[in-house]
Amino acid sequence: MSSHPTVRKTRTAWLGAVLSLASALALLAPSAQAVPSYARQTGADCAACHVGGFGPQLTPYGINFKLGGYTDSDGQGGKVPLSAMMVANWTRTAKDNPTPDPALHGNPNNNGGLQEASVFLAGRLTDNIGTFVQSTYAGFERKSSLDQMDIRYARTLKLGDKEGVVGLSLNNNPTLTDPFNTLGQWRFPYTASDFGFGFGPSPIVESLGGSVAGVNAYTLWDKNFYAELGAYGSLSRTGVNMVNTSRVAAGGIDPGQFKGLATYWRLAYFKDMKRDNFSVGLLGFNAGVQNPDDPGTADRYRDLGIDASYQFLGNRQHIFTVNASYIRERQKLNYTFGTALASSNPKDTLDQARIAASYHYAQTWGLTAGLFDSRGKADAGLYGSSYNGRPNTSGYMLQADWTPWGKESSWGAPWANVRLGAQYTGYNRYNGGSHYLDDSGADRKARDNNTLSFFVWTAI
Amino acid sequence: MISTQRLFSGLLVGCLVAISGHALAAGDVKKGADVFAEECGDCHSPKEGKAKKGPPLFGVNSRKAGSVADFAYSDAMKQSGITWSADKIEAYITAPRKVVPGGKMKYDGLADAAARADVLAYLMTLK
Repeated sequence: MSSHPTVRKTRTAWLGAVLSLASALALLAPSAQAVPSYARQTGADCAACHVGGFGPQLTPYGINFKLGGYTDSDGQGGKVPLSAMMVANWTRTAKDNPTPDPALHGNPNNNGGLQEASVFLAGRLTDNIGTFVQSTYAGFERKSSLDQMDIRYARTLKLGDKEGVVGLSLNNNPTLTDPFNTLGQWRFPYTASDFGFGFGPSPIVESLGGSVAGVNAYTLWDKNFYAELGAYGSLSRTGVNMVNTSRVAAGGIDPGQFKGLATYWRLAYFKDMKRDNFSVGLLGFNAGVQNPDDPGTADRYRDLGIDASYQFLGNRQHIFTVNASYIRERQKLNYTFGTALASSNPKDTLDQARIAASYHYAQTWGLTAGLFDSRGKADAGLYGSSYNGRPNTSGYMLQADWTPWGKESSWGAPWANVRLGAQYTGYNRYNGGSHYLDDSGADRKARDNNTLSFFVWTAI
Repeated sequence: MISTQRLFSGLLVGCLVAISGHALAAGDVKKGADVFAEECGDCHSPKEGKAKKGPPLFGVNSRKAGSVADFAYSDAMKQSGITWSADKIEAYITAPRKVVPGGKMKYDGLADAAARADVLAYLMTLK
């Protein structure tokens, strides 16, 4: 996590803190996932489910496995649904960070070490129930948390001459349940350094991991039509501290609390033509967020997004993918503006756009290029460290990676899995423009945050 | 100019195809390997003894349906009475649920006749 939050922390104004949390979470490196226990369960190679022979970018086979509740198997018993994973990296930024985040126990620059060590309870428990549960030790923060949880019940339902998969998910993150590669939890980059500077503020639907619990009903009907509806409640502060999330604690910020239940919905059309496939979709999230110490008046967040993806798989020797999403968030700051006086506007907006394209050769060599852009309405109260009052952050990320194993004929399959990679993140704008004020109040260029990182990501 | 010998050979092949009724088109093994990777390889291995979601297809020609040891076939497949041959495989991959109603394979079938011929040619090499 960077020590350059995109919003000013106003300790006396709780919603400023909420928004800080959202931004802080947005700055956090995405949690990585790679689960070989699924390969052992199904007999399939990693490359059957994942583009490039390593998680988590799903192919149609992987999408169907997930929607089937992680229960497909090769019919053989005795499979233990446990996996483990580690990510280590080394990171250099263009200019030293003068105020490194003490929670990361790092230096102003050139940081390296173990970033994540995870264990997964991941696989089939019964014919219809399966799990994806990840517990993670964050090496730089030196803390453990329940990272991700998705426990599913799924079955096939036939109506007339049509059939589909229907299911329920108990989970702790709204986009964790999504089967495509376009939304918060599952989009590129699939791992990123904690010492990076993030991708700007994210809409609330992508900023809640670990601090909520939800139940979602979903279906993939007639192989083409995906629909999902979920309701989420906030965990109590005690609950958050118990199961999660050191990351929240690291910021020292209360996550706020939903007023009533938040709702999540998703519609998508998916077409698998074997040689290639595509999806187009919509999503929405609606939440009221209140101060748990002063409940009543709540801020209201309404997210509406569109996404699309395309994969050319062919004979799996040359794989191309494109994943894109755009989400607009409308914020009605009843409490923050009206009571806490922490924002300059009663209403704000946030727009987030992401696109990434990848090429993989022989399920081994990968190149990915991504663009990120977050922009919001000027609000000097919320974005005090921005010269123009906006949180705007944009740039690009390039990744090259090598995945030597993960194929059917690979050495040690399916136990031996590793990906080595290099990432470069460049910033055109950060926290409003080409310059901003860092945590010490000094001027800093956006490009000072350009980051080079090397990673080793392994799973058994 | 076509030689008499070539013309005779061509006529002979044409007659043989005509009298064989549903003779299968000759497929291209290399193209068939690609079709296998696109259509079949996620669920089936070409390697001997390697089960995935589906049974291995090594040695599938002349094999009795539902006979790979330890693989959990559907009752429908085990009771189908099929012994896999080129024409049986061709029919099955055209419309799996018509050939084995109640089977477990979640595959709608391969509509492209040329692709079927190619993958069939490839499957015949798995022995």
